[in-house]
Amino acid sequence: MIKFDRFKLGNGLTVLFHKDVTTPMAVVNVLYNVGARDESPEKTGFAHLFEHLMFGGSINIPEFDKPLQQAGGENNAFTSNDITNYYDVLPRQNIETALWLESDRMLSLAFTPKSLEVQRSVVIEEFKQRYLNQPYGDVWLELRPLAYKTHPYNWATIGKEISHIENATMEDVRAFYDKYYNPNNAILCIAGNFELENIKSLAEKWFDDIPSGAEVNRALPVEEKQSEFREKTIERNVPGNAFYYAFKMPDRLHKDYFISDVISDILGRDKSSRLFKILKKEKGLVSEINCYITGSLDPGLLIITGKLNDGISFEALDRHLWDLLSHFKEDQIAKIELDRIMIKIRTSREFQEVGLLNRAMKLSIYELLGNADMINEEDKHYQEITPDMINRVCNEVLVKENCSLLKVKAINNG
Amino acid sequence: MDRSQQPTYKAVESIRFVKPEEHKVGGHFSLYHLKEVPNETCRIDLYFDAGKCFGHRGIPSFVNGLLLSGTAQMSSHEIEEAINSRGGFFSSGVSLENATVTIHCLREKAVELVEIVAKAIQDVSFIEKEVNEYLADQKQKYLIGLEKVGFLAQKMFQEKMFSSEAMYCETIQLEDFANISINDLKKFHQEKYRNGLTKLAIVGNLSNSDLDAILGIVKPMISNDQVDYATKIQNEAGLFYVPKENALQSAIRMGVQLFNKQHEDYLDFLVLNTILGDYFGSRLMRNIREDKGYTYGIGSAVVELSKTGYFVIGTEVGKDVREAALSEIKKEIKLLQDQPVTDHEIELVQNYMLGQLLKSADGPYAMMDLFLSANINGMNLNVYNNAIDKVKNITPARIQELTNKYLNWNDLSIISVG
Repeated sequence: MIKFDRFKLGNGLTVLFHKDVTTPMAVVNVLYNVGARDESPEKTGFAHLFEHLMFGGSINIPEFDKPLQQAGGENNAFTSNDITNYYDVLPRQNIETALWLESDRMLSLAFTPKSLEVQRSVVIEEFKQRYLNQPYGDVWLELRPLAYKTHPYNWATIGKEISHIENATMEDVRAFYDKYYNPNNAILCIAGNFELENIKSLAEKWFDDIPSGAEVNRALPVEEKQSEFREKTIERNVPGNAFYYAFKMPDRLHKDYFISDVISDILGRDKSSRLFKILKKEKGLVSEINCYITGSLDPGLLIITGKLNDGISFEALDRHLWDLLSHFKEDQIAKIELDRIMIKIRTSREFQEVGLLNRAMKLSIYELLGNADMINEEDKHYQEITPDMINRVCNEVLVKENCSLLKVKAINNG
Repeated sequence: MDRSQQPTYKAVESIRFVKPEEHKVGGHFSLYHLKEVPNETCRIDLYFDAGKCFGHRGIPSFVNGLLLSGTAQMSSHEIEEAINSRGGFFSSGVSLENATVTIHCLREKAVELVEIVAKAIQDVSFIEKEVNEYLADQKQKYLIGLEKVGFLAQKMFQEKMFSSEAMYCETIQLEDFANISINDLKKFHQEKYRNGLTKLAIVGNLSNSDLDAILGIVKPMISNDQVDYATKIQNEAGLFYVPKENALQSAIRMGVQLFNKQHEDYLDFLVLNTILGDYFGSRLMRNIREDKGYTYGIGSAVVELSKTGYFVIGTEVGKDVREAALSEIKKEIKLLQDQPVTDHEIELVQNYMLGQLLKSADGPYAMMDLFLSANINGMNLNVYNNAIDKVKNITPARIQELTNKYLNWNDLSIISVG
C-alpha cells in the first residue's frame, strides 16, 4: 500500500505528498500534462525540444542546474507522446531549493535566443545519435505513421524530421509555454521524510502566486478502428532482417488494458514465453523475439518484434507466427502458465516500488489518469484476470485487420 | 519573498553507511547480507573470478552467456521455466576481471531459486545445439555492434588502453564465433565456475536458516584459489582515427592509466573528475554540449579494476565537428592545468558530490553496491568516510596539481571512429 496525501492550490496546481521516513533524500516530481501528441503535425518534436529549454534559465534564476547541484541534488526529465515529466532528487534538508527552482520555471522562462540555438543543435545530435546513427534506430519513425493514420501518435517524440526542430522559432516556444506550462496543467509530487503541514506551507509559499492559465481542451483526432492489414518494407544497411508486428490495443483506462499487458507477457516477456519457446527454440526461425506494449494513455500498440535467422524468410516467420497466434486465440491458457506470469508481474512491481522516485512518478501518472489511489488497485486488476478474459481480448487484439507490419530488409552496401 | 535568492541550504555533514553482515567460509569466501529491506524483494549476486582477462577469443563472455543452456537433466527451457514460475529474474554479466550472476526475486522464493541456478551452473553440459544457436545470436549482435561507432571506438579503446597486458587488451573478433570449440568452453567453465565462486551478496529479509540453506547449496562452488590481477597497465598513447562511411556521428573515447581507491590520490582525483566531466554542470558538458551544441552528452569517469584503474572521457559528436570537439576537450584539460578552479565551483562540486554519496548509500540496494565497490578493492566502508573528509578539504591548488600530474594530453590514447 502506497500512502499519499493530496491537496490543490487556488491556481489549480494538484499537489501529492508521499511520506517515507526511511530515506535521507527527497524527490520533487513535476508532471506537465503535455506530450508529443499535443504538437501540430507541421511542428513535431516540439514538446521534447521544449523539455530541453526548461533547463535554460527561468525568469528569476539564470541557471537551473547550478543551484540544485549546490544543494547536493540532481535532476532530469523525459518527454513521451503523452506527458513531460521533470524530477529533482536531493538531500531532504534542501528540498526548498528544488521547490524554488521548479516554481520559478513554472512562473516563467528566461527565453534566451542562445538557449534556443544551442538546444536545437543538442536535440539534432540526439536525433542522430539515437535514431539515425544506429542500426534499426529509425524503425519507430516508420512504424508510427504506418500504425496511426489520424491520431498524433503517428510521430515519435523526437519528431518526424530534423527540419521541424531546425525551424522552431522563439515565437513557437513562447506560445507552447503559455498554453501548457501552467499550474492547472501540472501535478506536483513531493516524496520524502516530511510532515504534511510542512509540505502544505512550502507548496503554498512557492507555488501559490503562479497565475493559472486557460484550461487546455485537448481535442485530439481519434484514430478510427483499423479494418485492414497494413504492411511496409524498408531496406536498410543493417546486418539482419527484422520485423515489427504492431497491434492496436485499448487505452490506459480501459478495463482490457491490463489484460493486453498480460497477453504481451504470455507471448514474449521472457525465455519461457510462447514466442521464444516455439519460434526460436523449437522452430529456429529467429535470433531474438519479444512482445511488449507501448503503455500509452490513448489506445496504444502491442508489439511483436524480432530478428530473423540467416536463411529464414519473412514469409516463413509470418506463417508460423499467425499459426501460433491462432492457437493462442482458440485454446484456454493453463493455470500454471498464468500463475507464472502473475508472480513475475508481482516481483517486478515490488522492485519498482523500492525506489522513491519511481513511487513519486507513478503516483503522478495515476493522478493524471484520474486518481493517484489507482496505484494501489493495480495488483487487484491483474489478480482478477481469468483465462476467459484473456481469450476474449486475444480475439479482439491479435487479428490481422488490427495489425501493421514493418519489415526491415537488410541490404549490404559494403 | 525574493525569487532571485536561493533558499538556505546545508551541505551533507555525515552519512550513515550500513555494513552488511559477513559470513566467512574458508579462507577467501564471504557471504555479505543486508537484511533491512522495506518490502518482499530480494537480490542475490554471485561473483566469480571469470572475467574476460582469464580467457581468449571471447570464451569468458560465451561461457557466461551459456550458464543456463542446459544440463544432462534439464533443458534450457526447463531451467527458464523453473526460474520464471517462481517469479525470478536471472541476469549474468562479465567484466574485464569478474563475472556475476544475479537473481532478483521475492524473498519467499530465494532459496529455491539459488538451488535451481546453482545446479544449472554447476552441471551445464554445453549441448551442441544450444552452443551453436547462442553463438549465431551473439554473432548477429556483434555485427550490429560493428555498425555502431560507439561500439567500434570502445573496442579500439580497450585494445589501446591495455596494450601492455595481453590478457586485458584482447577483444572479440568476427572469426572467433566460428573457431570456438565446445572443449574450450567446458575447460573454462570447469576452472572458473565449478570452483570459482568468490563472493555472495544478498539483499533481502531472509532468515538465518535461509542463509544457511543458501550457503549449503553454493558450498561446492566456492573457490579456494586466489587469482592474480594486473597490478599495472600501460596504455598506448597517441591519436587513432578510423573513418566510417555513412556515419552521421563520430564516437570519441580517450583515456590514460590511473589507479583505484587504494591509491592516495584517488579520492582527490574523483573531485577533479567530477569538475571535468562527471556531472551535468561539468566543464566538458558546459562547453561541448551547452555552449557549442556538438553533442547530446559527454562524460568522464575513473574506471576501477581490482589492482589498478584508468581514466576515460567518452562522447558522440557530429561528424563535422569531430576535430573541433577534440580540441575543445584538450582546451578544457589545459585550462584546469593552468588556472585554479574558483572557490565557488569547488563549493558547488563539494556539495554535489556529498549529496550524491548520500544518495549512493540510500536504501539497502544502493548500500550493498557501495559496499561491494569498496570490497572489490579489498577495502571497507571507511573509504567513504575518508571521501567525505577529502571532498570537504579539497583545494584549487590540489586540483591543478593532479591535472598536471595525471592528465597530460600526450599520454592519452585518443580514439575516434566515424
